Amino acid sequence: MIAAILLLLVTTGAPDASMSVGPPQGRPMSGAALDTRTVEVASLIRCPVCQGMSIADSPSEMAVNMKHQVRALLERGYTQDQILDYFERSYGQFVLLKPRFQGVNALVWLLPLVALAIGAAIVVAKAKRLQKPSDPATQRPSDPYLDQVRNLVSGGKP
Amino acid sequence: MTTASIGRFVILASVLVSTGGAVIGFYAGRSRSRAGLQWARRFAYGYALLMIAATAVMEYALLTHDFSVSYVAHVGSLTTPTWVTIASLWSSLEGSILFWGFILGIYIAVATYLTRKHNDEYMPDAIGVWLSCAAFFSFLIAAPANPFLSVAPAADGPGPNALLQNHILMVIHPPFLYLGYVGMTIPFGLACAALIQGRLGHSILKPLRAALMLPWIFLTIAIMLGGWWAYEVLGWGGYWAWDPVENASLLPWLTATAALHSMVVLERRGVLKGWTITLIQSTFLLTILGTFMTRSGVFNSVHSFTQSAIGPTILVFLAAVLIFSIVLLALRIDRLEADGNFDSGVSREGMFLFNNLLFVVLTFTVLIGTVFPLIVEAVRGKQMSVGRPYFDSMVVPVGALLLFLLGVGPALPWGGATAKQIRRALLPPIGGAFVLLALGFAFGARNPWTLITLAFGGYAAQVTLSQMRSPVTQLRRARRRFASYVVHSGVVIVFVAIAISSTMRYTQEVHLTKGGSANVGAYTITLIGVDERHEPNRFATVARFDVAKNGVHKTTLEPRMNQYVAMREPIGTPDVYSTIGGDFYLSVMNIDAGAQSVAVNAIITPFVGWIWGAVILMGLGGVMALVPQRTAREHVVIPVIEDAVEA
Amino acid sequence: MNRTVLFVGFFIAVAVIGVLFVGLGKDPQVIDSPLIGHAAPPFALKAVGSGETINLAQFRGRPVVLNFWATWCGPCYEEHPTLVANARQMQPSVQFLGVVFQDTEDQIQKFLNERGNAYPTVIDDAGKTAIAYGVGGVPETFFLDKNGTIVAKFAGPLNTETLQSYLQKAMKQ
Repeated sequence: MIAAILLLLVTTGAPDASMSVGPPQGRPMSGAALDTRTVEVASLIRCPVCQGMSIADSPSEMAVNMKHQVRALLERGYTQDQILDYFERSYGQFVLLKPRFQGVNALVWLLPLVALAIGAAIVVAKAKRLQKPSDPATQRPSDPYLDQVRNLVSGGKP
Repeated sequence: MTTASIGRFVILASVLVSTGGAVIGFYAGRSRSRAGLQWARRFAYGYALLMIAATAVMEYALLTHDFSVSYVAHVGSLTTPTWVTIASLWSSLEGSILFWGFILGIYIAVATYLTRKHNDEYMPDAIGVWLSCAAFFSFLIAAPANPFLSVAPAADGPGPNALLQNHILMVIHPPFLYLGYVGMTIPFGLACAALIQGRLGHSILKPLRAALMLPWIFLTIAIMLGGWWAYEVLGWGGYWAWDPVENASLLPWLTATAALHSMVVLERRGVLKGWTITLIQSTFLLTILGTFMTRSGVFNSVHSFTQSAIGPTILVFLAAVLIFSIVLLALRIDRLEADGNFDSGVSREGMFLFNNLLFVVLTFTVLIGTVFPLIVEAVRGKQMSVGRPYFDSMVVPVGALLLFLLGVGPALPWGGATAKQIRRALLPPIGGAFVLLALGFAFGARNPWTLITLAFGGYAAQVTLSQMRSPVTQLRRARRRFASYVVHSGVVIVFVAIAISSTMRYTQEVHLTKGGSANVGAYTITLIGVDERHEPNRFATVARFDVAKNGVHKTTLEPRMNQYVAMREPIGTPDVYSTIGGDFYLSVMNIDAGAQSVAVNAIITPFVGWIWGAVILMGLGGVMALVPQRTAREHVVIPVIEDAVEA
Repeated sequence: MNRTVLFVGFFIAVAVIGVLFVGLGKDPQVIDSPLIGHAAPPFALKAVGSGETINLAQFRGRPVVLNFWATWCGPCYEEHPTLVANARQMQPSVQFLGVVFQDTEDQIQKFLNERGNAYPTVIDDAGKTAIAYGVGGVPETFFLDKNGTIVAKFAGPLNTETLQSYLQKAMKQ
């Protein structure tokens, strides 16, 4: 039913962003600020015909079209989130080069921090353990020369 | 006998020789048989000879255009120039695996020869591990990726992949990458041998370090060449896109670099034995993972133009090596007792620990970012992407911290230090930090990360330079330390050049018709004309620009669009005018020969050329560190002198 | 035997190998469309030849085969006869509609004159329709049911068998 209403709404032209993400929620942009912002937002969107490149970087025609679309939407006052939403609705999460911090995708942001925390704890513990004089049975002065002597004694050649 | 059947015969022989040699090696390691070791060495040389022979047969077939050999029928062509024909060996999957075997053979032979008089206790197992890996690759060449199949000869072939012919860097990048990847087999074998024997004595450290350093140098250069290629060919003006294949080459580099650092602590303080071995094993595993990533077709990438069915076979090998490494490590790590300790955490060795932590976190981040889309797809069945914005925001802070450590670490003395000593070591380089920061600010740097990089870079530069300068005779006495500072200076330049080139580049879209001109920064470009050129394998539309800077003619640039027969969309190939201060880069967006009009992206990137140069400096530092040092006697004296100098 | 190393190691091994194993056999180029099950984005575009405006909404009441293509695309040549033959056979109970993007009208007209023309073809406006449909390359075909809901998407050249199986799905609704 909703589909039917939407289909009747359009009178001419290509599908419009307002159909999927509603009216603009930001302020219309123009001039140099628009140029900079276009590149910033475009660099977050994956070019679907290229391989892993953003539409800001890719010279392909598809990417250029998408970049123009981003620019037009910014010009009309759509926010970055709305624009990303718009592209996500047609291309899926695949199109977002920077995963959103939500659901499973939050893990890609959190796991490195967890690794850093665990790693830091291990390093601090290790440094502390190494600072204490170790078990006298295994403690040996560190000396490459002695090591070589040990090596000779144990059968290896220098 | 046909060329193809000779090739198949040689490869079959190499499967037998490598398998036999591996068995003999492991047996000799267990039974401590001298004769067994001698035979293992002979088999290692035999394997190398067979791989050289197989490669020679393939090159002969390529050069004589013997289209009855399947690989030649696949990549050969009568029209390609000789240098392309020679390089076709690594232009496609089957040939590149053969090339891999060739490099592995040479590495194994050289490593076996150089260790012929030392470390008899480790060598049988090391040769066993090397030849086991060799056996796997020979099996790959013999069965799933056989380049020597007999086919009905055609009159001519299609020629190698278009990208290979497109740029000279595509010809020299793969050999460097393979020299880096394949070479990691050697330290892996030595590390596994140490685990099997349950000890990691001082005598094995030197060969282990050299065996890690050499492929590290190749990998360093290879990563740079890959970035340079992307810059020169892909047309977006950048050199690093955090593409899965780029990440695949970076991952083993990160762990190898960590291992080179932990090894310094190991040599010095006798600790971190199990950890260093783990890093070396991880490095080798990551090279196999990288091979899987580029060869399996699982990842979307600009670089993986060879997709094939050997993915599952490589995955099985990866699983086998992973399980072997883990079990071996779990069995023996407790036997590698530490025979040293730390005096204080705030010391050079303490900084080495943090260096290793950051490298490992960096490896983990890049790895998780690269495989995360696969995980999500497996769990939720939906595709998602992890791209450049993610990696930039995660990696840049860690990179900045590493640069900070690169300054602080070498400034701190070994062992403990009093608060006064620490102040004396750490305070003066702040001057260097301010100098570079002020310079950057004066030239317009405003991005916070760029400013942080400049400050840390300036700090590190002063520390590095003063360390290099301190004992005048250092080149003779402690070349290795000097060499490591050469590498560090390269790193500082790379960091600064990356920070500046990525945040201070200027981009402008220019639309011109014939005769028109436009100003881009200090440059003026004039469109001379648009030509259409029919080339054998492609159709090119070329825009010719006159480039002037401040009114003085500098050069003519010819960015172009190439339409290859087999490709869906045309590929733009940019053209670059490089100077010491920066590059002027033109990349075609839209071109129309009929209307003599063109739309180009003009990009001015400061300092980008410094990255290539500084990475070469890093490589040279590595080479300097590899040059053998003198006798053991002198070697013992050095730490004492160094301590005196630093105190 | 160090159990910590063993357990941590095996956890990593199972995770890494498991993920890569699942990833094997997947084509990274095939991207699912999030639009399936949703209303097809509406458009009204100019038809090649006649010049009249064709509104997607006017086909409501019967399934639609919506084919994105271009004359510079090799696989599009391959699938064109299939589309034309099936359209001749199935229209008007099923509507076929072509959307061309990144192309010129002259070339499209020439292509259609040479290779058959059985259903309307409209020209996209600067790729906007393609973007709204999440098109990542041509050819790509969407199957709409009679209510205008997207039932399926296929990337790559169609053959009659694939086309019919997707169309069955669209007709069931």
